[in-house]
Amino acid sequence: MAATSKGSRKGTMNGLPDWGLLLGSVLVYLFLYAPIAVLILFSFNSTRSTQVWSGFSFEWYGQLLADPTILQAFRTSLTVGVIATLIATVIGTMTALALSRHRFRGQSVADTAIYAATVMPEIVVGVSLLVFFVAVRIDLGITTIVIAHVAFTISFVTIVVRARLAGMDRSVEEAAQDLGASPVQTFFRVTLPLILPGVMAGGLLAFTLSFDDFVITYFISGVGSSTLPLKIYSMIKFGVSPVINALSTVVLVATLFLIFGGSRLLVRKDNT
Amino acid sequence: MEDRQIRERPARAEAAGRGVAVRLAGITKRFGDFVAVDDLNLDIYEGEFFSLLGPSGCGKTTTLRMIAGFEEPSQGEISVAGEQVQGVPPYRRPVNTVFQSYAIFPHLNVFDNVAFGLRRAKTPKDEVASRVADACEMVQLAGFEKRKPGMLSGGQQQRVALARALVNRPKVLLLDEPLGALDLKLRKEMQLELKSLQEEVGITFVYVTHDQEEALTMSDRIAVMNEGKVQQLAGPTTLYETPANRFVAGFIGQTNVFSGTVEAADGERTTLRTREGLRVEAVARDQASPKEGEEVHAAVRPEKVRFGGSGDNVSAAEVKQVVYLGASTQYIVELEGGGKLVLYQQNAFDATGPLEGDGVSVSWDAQNCLVLGG
Repeated sequence: MAATSKGSRKGTMNGLPDWGLLLGSVLVYLFLYAPIAVLILFSFNSTRSTQVWSGFSFEWYGQLLADPTILQAFRTSLTVGVIATLIATVIGTMTALALSRHRFRGQSVADTAIYAATVMPEIVVGVSLLVFFVAVRIDLGITTIVIAHVAFTISFVTIVVRARLAGMDRSVEEAAQDLGASPVQTFFRVTLPLILPGVMAGGLLAFTLSFDDFVITYFISGVGSSTLPLKIYSMIKFGVSPVINALSTVVLVATLFLIFGGSRLLVRKDNT
Repeated sequence: MEDRQIRERPARAEAAGRGVAVRLAGITKRFGDFVAVDDLNLDIYEGEFFSLLGPSGCGKTTTLRMIAGFEEPSQGEISVAGEQVQGVPPYRRPVNTVFQSYAIFPHLNVFDNVAFGLRRAKTPKDEVASRVADACEMVQLAGFEKRKPGMLSGGQQQRVALARALVNRPKVLLLDEPLGALDLKLRKEMQLELKSLQEEVGITFVYVTHDQEEALTMSDRIAVMNEGKVQQLAGPTTLYETPANRFVAGFIGQTNVFSGTVEAADGERTTLRTREGLRVEAVARDQASPKEGEEVHAAVRPEKVRFGGSGDNVSAAEVKQVVYLGASTQYIVELEGGGKLVLYQQNAFDATGPLEGDGVSVSWDAQNCLVLGG
């Protein structure tokens, strides 16, 4: 068919013509991004309407900054994110090292458990953590949010760091020891610099996940310690306002920024 | 064997009076049920270029790693420069290693790679700078100090690995197939360079390789290993001329092996008859003369068989294959008495030898045909 009549029906794959594929792709991207584009657009609307465009303004961003409860929620999210990320990155990196460096009984179970944790239904994690905190009598608040966020981001850090470790030549660590570096010196002078892109990417991913999390946090946040996603949710209960659009846009931009930063780190070449 | 004088190069004579750099006493290494190294006893002398040669899985790399400290022997004792090193971690042993994969630190430039060991030893800054410069000079890497390893060729990375190890002036330098990843031409160059470098610095080199030619080119002494045991320990010439057993004969260079029953044995002269009925005159090595009726193997090197001529072994044969190799030509002939024989002829003056299908006569001397142990 296409091979014999070159030119006349070029680009026919699986019988679909070029324009069909193009249309399909356009529709997919519209479906994915149109609602977000609309949300961003109306955050700049000059009237309260989130449906009718009346003109450009920064009105809602101004209101956002003027609302102390929003700023408070932002601070909470930031605090939780930074602390949880630091803890999760350290523990996650150590887990990755342990899993890739040692052979032990039940290793495949341990491996699977790490991956399983990333696809665990959030509602289950949220409920179980709530039950756990109540059982051990920890008051719900920032502490419980941090603990919960550490718990569910560790496995993401571990997976990212392990990928980096898998591509690393073990003999450079032997070479370091051969040249007189103790195990601790070897880790800080050779291993860590070499896996650092993975560690940082894992950390950024952890921060993003922490910053955006709603379901788990909803269960264990307690009174007076709302993170940004919880704040948006509570605001929306009083009606949709362009302030929410503006806030969502800020969260979105921050998240995208971190994710792209992380993926750039991961693909970074060694010889830079 | 009074008529067979084996002359090693003067520098390669027995290291009488020299100290022992590395002593392996009764070393055994087991991985689970697998015995990687089996009751190994070796003395490696100061200033010696010593090779561990053998096929993959023979235990040579494991032996090297035990000297470096990356593996601990299951049994036995290792001493380096007179000090026992079992249980001493790699970073406290007076040895350095050149790894097969080079293991250059990719995040450090050439200078920092070479300086790594000196800095761990808290060497003063000025001395680090001058010694690194000297080491780079020595391996012809001067001017490359600021380069990152990613910008270096395989040969240059290999030199960095060498400089990085030598700059520490170790008692012993361990090299694990360091030339394996280089192409043939570069490998040949590096072999000679390594050898002259070793003579220059006078450090004991323990060199692991599976390449027999490489071992013969560079080594003062070679331990041929197989299945965790040393098959023969000798200088290159002795190894080639008088292999101790069938494994060594087959592993070092090419050889023709005759298997048969001893018909007559008087002193060193042995006559055996192969299963195909060929009668072969051979000599027995050392005192290991076989007895009548015993099953033995005898080997003759392809370059020690000639067309025509007379000798202890003369046989009619038909040329089966002629392979022109440049400096020499390889012939495969079928002996009248049965069995095939490989022989080399130097193409010294002309390249006119017999052709495929020609009937010829081949001969070789009993003194070049060695009864093998094992």
